[in-house]
Amino acid sequence: MLLVLGDRTAVWYFLVMTDATSVVVTGLGFCTGLGPDPWAAMSRGETAVHDSDDLKELPHKTAAVVERIDLRPWLKRRKDRKLMARPSQLALAAGGMALEQWSGATDALGLFVGVGREPGDDGESEPSLVAAQVDGRLDQEAVAGPCRDLYPPLLPLKTLPNMALAHVSIHLDIRGDNGTWCGGSAAGLMAMRAGIWSIRERRSVGALVLAADSWVSAGCVRDLLRLSKGERITSPGEAGVAVFIESLASAKQRGAKVLATVDVSSELESSRKMVHHGSLGDCKAADSLLGLALRVKQGPGREVYAAQELGQPPVAVGLSIEESMACYSAERKVLTDV
Amino acid sequence: MKRRVVITGMGMVTPLGLGVEKTWQAVCRGESGVGEVKRFDASGLPVRFAAETCEPPAHADDEGDLKLRLVLAALAEALEQSGPVPGERTGVCLGSEIGRPSLEVLSKRLTDMTPPTADEISRMDPAAPTRLVARVSGAKGPQSTVSTACTSSSQAVGEGLLRIRRGDVDVMVVGGVDVLVDAIMITGFAKLGALSERNDDPKGASRPFDSDRDGFVLGEGAGILILEDRQRALDRGAHILAELSGYGCSCNAYRITDSPPDGRGAYQSMTAALRDAGLEPEDIGYINAHGTSTPMNDPSEAKGIIRTFPNTVPVSSTKSSMGHLVAACGAVEAIVCVQAIRTEQLPPTINLERPDPVCALNHVANVAQSARIDHAMTNAFGFGGSNGSLVLSRHD
Repeated sequence: MLLVLGDRTAVWYFLVMTDATSVVVTGLGFCTGLGPDPWAAMSRGETAVHDSDDLKELPHKTAAVVERIDLRPWLKRRKDRKLMARPSQLALAAGGMALEQWSGATDALGLFVGVGREPGDDGESEPSLVAAQVDGRLDQEAVAGPCRDLYPPLLPLKTLPNMALAHVSIHLDIRGDNGTWCGGSAAGLMAMRAGIWSIRERRSVGALVLAADSWVSAGCVRDLLRLSKGERITSPGEAGVAVFIESLASAKQRGAKVLATVDVSSELESSRKMVHHGSLGDCKAADSLLGLALRVKQGPGREVYAAQELGQPPVAVGLSIEESMACYSAERKVLTDV
Repeated sequence: MKRRVVITGMGMVTPLGLGVEKTWQAVCRGESGVGEVKRFDASGLPVRFAAETCEPPAHADDEGDLKLRLVLAALAEALEQSGPVPGERTGVCLGSEIGRPSLEVLSKRLTDMTPPTADEISRMDPAAPTRLVARVSGAKGPQSTVSTACTSSSQAVGEGLLRIRRGDVDVMVVGGVDVLVDAIMITGFAKLGALSERNDDPKGASRPFDSDRDGFVLGEGAGILILEDRQRALDRGAHILAELSGYGCSCNAYRITDSPPDGRGAYQSMTAALRDAGLEPEDIGYINAHGTSTPMNDPSEAKGIIRTFPNTVPVSSTKSSMGHLVAACGAVEAIVCVQAIRTEQLPPTINLERPDPVCALNHVANVAQSARIDHAMTNAFGFGGSNGSLVLSRHD
């Protein structure tokens, strides 16, 4: 099976394709609302899109939530989990799974990650920001005093976009060529593209390509509703997906099972409708790589089963300022003031 | 045969001034862009100084956002030098960190109850500056945004190099931007213990490799480079400023906040860049170090440099003058390296009064040095352990 990615001009190397420059998939990892094998669940017609307690007061009430993220096999120090925003956890779970089949050293592996916008901080900054406000205004003395005292010292390092890469590199001990791409649903494909070239240009002996994103919180859904300008939104989801790639020569040498060949070509995969939205929700920055990984899992000659989107009422927009800024504002209760 | 990549335009906005020439002159004179915070009342904060950017005039497309205004000003300067670069064979790759509005903006919104617009929400995406630069420059080729903290724009420049080499595009607009000086970021980084707290001497606060260093100084700014396929630049008679000849990167895989004491990640990144450029260590005539002035970074980087360069290559950190521009530092410091090659001057590390013995490098201390060099390297190492190194070369 040949999968194609991105570029209209990179034709020349087809002429010189060898086992050393052919890039193949030998590992996959998923952390999704349908568990670690979403393809099997989708084939049974299952969906992870359900009513979410967090969204019950919003006009859109369904999301595909990952119920449990088991990081125990991968964490070097269990307490490090506290430092991880949700996309980092999703990325590590998927990355660890995809790397299980690799028995070589990890220090020369590449790591390429697609992420979305800055992840939320699970409300950890709220107490300090509440303390910084007096009569709804920022109070400089309060910022310097109670706000400062309540501000979690490691918070800036939890929510930076590159933290998924950082945590995966630390816990899986990956030290080579790397990068984190932001760019909506295409982010995962940008990461994949960088990984393919890193193998082909011999900057990495193998590469873990990851994408992770989470849009299931009330704050995220409010932003989606506002951005939709009155249109219905696809149920949001969250996922971590990982694809391990290496050269065909490397896979042959170590006797690895080749799942698919990946390459770059003229058509952007991300422009296609994502058939997994009905089962796994719209996973934003994880979406395009998730679509690619599902196609690998699907194998040749089979169609991905698309579960039906659950019925949703028409969406009303015009939410108040408190709703869209709940993660920064005074009290949790504003989440429910629709 | 690799396609060679040259630089035909550069622009920057920094705490030292608007434009490459102003910043460069100030760096070489050993000036400091660090001062007491003026944008808001920081009198009660643990750190009351920063390297606030010089603010360019408002731009019709900046949407009232300082980050967008900075990147547009840097872009305008770069395009004035290179000439227009629109078209499908031009791509954009910028380094950008967070898109979060400042605490002041959030607080104001809570007060006036104005809902954020869809545009404001979309600006929270780190890719927002990339989209704007593509639109304004007319670049219709591939767009991407790299977000690896302090390494972001170094990796964005590297991505531009690789894309042109591979033949994806002929021109890349690359660089980075960051605006982080607000109360909550200062509070957060201060609580991390990462910032200098030398409130009584802001201009002396950023002192990379000095024994008395106590943390970095938060800065902000933007840097843009126009990268171009060398043959295309020659064919159109463009003025070539320098060649971008090598790029390497690595992960520390150590800790989120700390650098490995043995400097292994820095070593791996620098050797990868040398290998990519086809150069030997002795070919490099100057290193613009990441040199943050934190107790942890500087010895780790020094170890990496010493391991990579057995010779005594001159080293300085211009963060001593302009603070730490975070996601923009890689691009801005790459431009500094180009200026060092072009003007045959090596910019100094200011405030380097008592060099730390554990950072035993050949420092360009306090005063610029004259030197004709053919190749320079710049390092950027980020929170989370991403490292990037670029090699800039005299164009023959």
